[in-house]
Amino acid sequence: MSAPTLDIENLKLGFKGYTGYTEVLHGISLSVNPGERVALVGESGSGKSVTARIVLGLLQELRAARIEGRVRFEGQDLDSLNRRERHALRGKAMSMIFQDPTSSLNPVFRIGDQFHDVLRRADPRITRDAALGRAASILAEVSVRDAVRVLNAFPFQLSGGLNQRVMIAMALANEPALLIADEPGTALDVTVQAQTLHLMRKLVEDHHTAVLFISHNLGVVREFADQIYVIYKGRIVEQGPTEAVFDGPRHPYTRALMAAVPRLTGGGIPDIDENSPDFGAPLETHEREGRQ
Amino acid sequence: MTAPILELAAVSKIFGTGADAVRAAQSISFAVNKGECLAIVGESGSGKSTVANMILGIYPPSGGEIRLNGTTLPASRKLEHRRAIQLVQQNPLSSLNPRRSIGASLRLALDVHGIGARKERADLVGGLLEEVGLPADFARRSPAALSGGQCQRVAIARALACQSEIVVLDEPTSALDVLVQARVLKLLNQLRETRNLTFVFITHDLSVVRNIASRIAVFEKGRMVELGQTEDLFANPAHSYTRRLISAVPVVTREEDALRSSLAAGLEETTK
Repeated sequence: MSAPTLDIENLKLGFKGYTGYTEVLHGISLSVNPGERVALVGESGSGKSVTARIVLGLLQELRAARIEGRVRFEGQDLDSLNRRERHALRGKAMSMIFQDPTSSLNPVFRIGDQFHDVLRRADPRITRDAALGRAASILAEVSVRDAVRVLNAFPFQLSGGLNQRVMIAMALANEPALLIADEPGTALDVTVQAQTLHLMRKLVEDHHTAVLFISHNLGVVREFADQIYVIYKGRIVEQGPTEAVFDGPRHPYTRALMAAVPRLTGGGIPDIDENSPDFGAPLETHEREGRQ
Repeated sequence: MTAPILELAAVSKIFGTGADAVRAAQSISFAVNKGECLAIVGESGSGKSTVANMILGIYPPSGGEIRLNGTTLPASRKLEHRRAIQLVQQNPLSSLNPRRSIGASLRLALDVHGIGARKERADLVGGLLEEVGLPADFARRSPAALSGGQCQRVAIARALACQSEIVVLDEPTSALDVLVQARVLKLLNQLRETRNLTFVFITHDLSVVRNIASRIAVFEKGRMVELGQTEDLFANPAHSYTRRLISAVPVVTREEDALRSSLAAGLEETTK
């Protein structure tokens, strides 16, 4: 069996600030196998986005951040890489989709030119025409029919849903082994969000891309992921196959979180504590099939 | 049958003129009864916020009228009308003045509308905070020292401060975490009952609406396509857009899956 695409082991993160040292990740471990869709679910401040930024090697650049633990990407320890080597991974071997597509695309360049830049990271000699051709074929995979118009447009000329699809296509243009998606589709309308998730799921399946999916939305996670990790205040509290976790949540925090989601079938607003000492209970693991 | 507290009769709003004109709301008519929670549901560009802004008097309708307790509201609202209809916005951190303490923000609402005797107002502020589940000494804090959920509670207290009758809630919980959202929704329900308030709840979140609204109006592209009792609307949506909207909601249980797929199946039949 090949090494996991991403393997995080006992990751700790703290920041030095005016008031001293604050630890925000207290030792989290998770792994993403090739072609697997793994979700990290938690509320604001739980530490899910900083985890993504460590994997990308972005927080390592910050002098106030103290990082401990091991992050292996395709068997390679990220700590053993220097800045340039980490930079070389981004956009090629790993890429990211952000929450708000319209503000994360560059507003002053046409979509086509931004595609060219992305493709040049993998193939520095690719011509503009070749890049546009490649872009059009990836856009077709996310159901963008009029690729010529889209490639000629600036991001503000396109709808939010279209920009999101452009970003998904761009993130997958260089066939990365790992895609990190931070709250994709949260800024979109619900019908567009459903469509976008569906397309993204199909695309990563076709390309056998591993995905680390970061979200606070339990419904979205249930629809997208194979495996989920529930994170609360910098600790993983429950992990397992999506279906097992949703059918039988065990940790008090996961239970509260699930109970708090208003149901489409009614039943009123549940009475739940925002905070409970039970939420600090130890990790609950649902066994994965075929793994330890 | 009592007269409705709020009535919209063929209300429309057109922004711009000539070829560039945008018909943001087209001939919208509905009535809201005292003490109910009417939800307006739609996606971006559906006109739900335009209608909310006209109810609040932020801008007048281009056509039609809005009536409060049977009297037509003028284009420029009087203080009395503004007191009766209040707003709670989506992002509580940006709707509270960061330079003003929580107490001062609440006090301002009391001063403007002349609620209570001057000497009593400090006590009224404390009472309002307690009513929304916050300690009275939060009055001395600034918004930055509060969490998102606490700020939203303050925004609700401010909307109640001037003894309003109707509260327009514009996505009041969509910026909040799900555990905090449940608590705030619970509070809103409770306040509506104890104060006999009327809510106009603007949102895109059908799961929230299912559990808090008595009736739902579905908006699409500036038109109201369906209005019905919550139970009926979910059991048997009349409009295909409503079906599409409900079946796109990401859900967490198998019962909800079943509801969604039954609606989606109906959708395929109608489009064939």
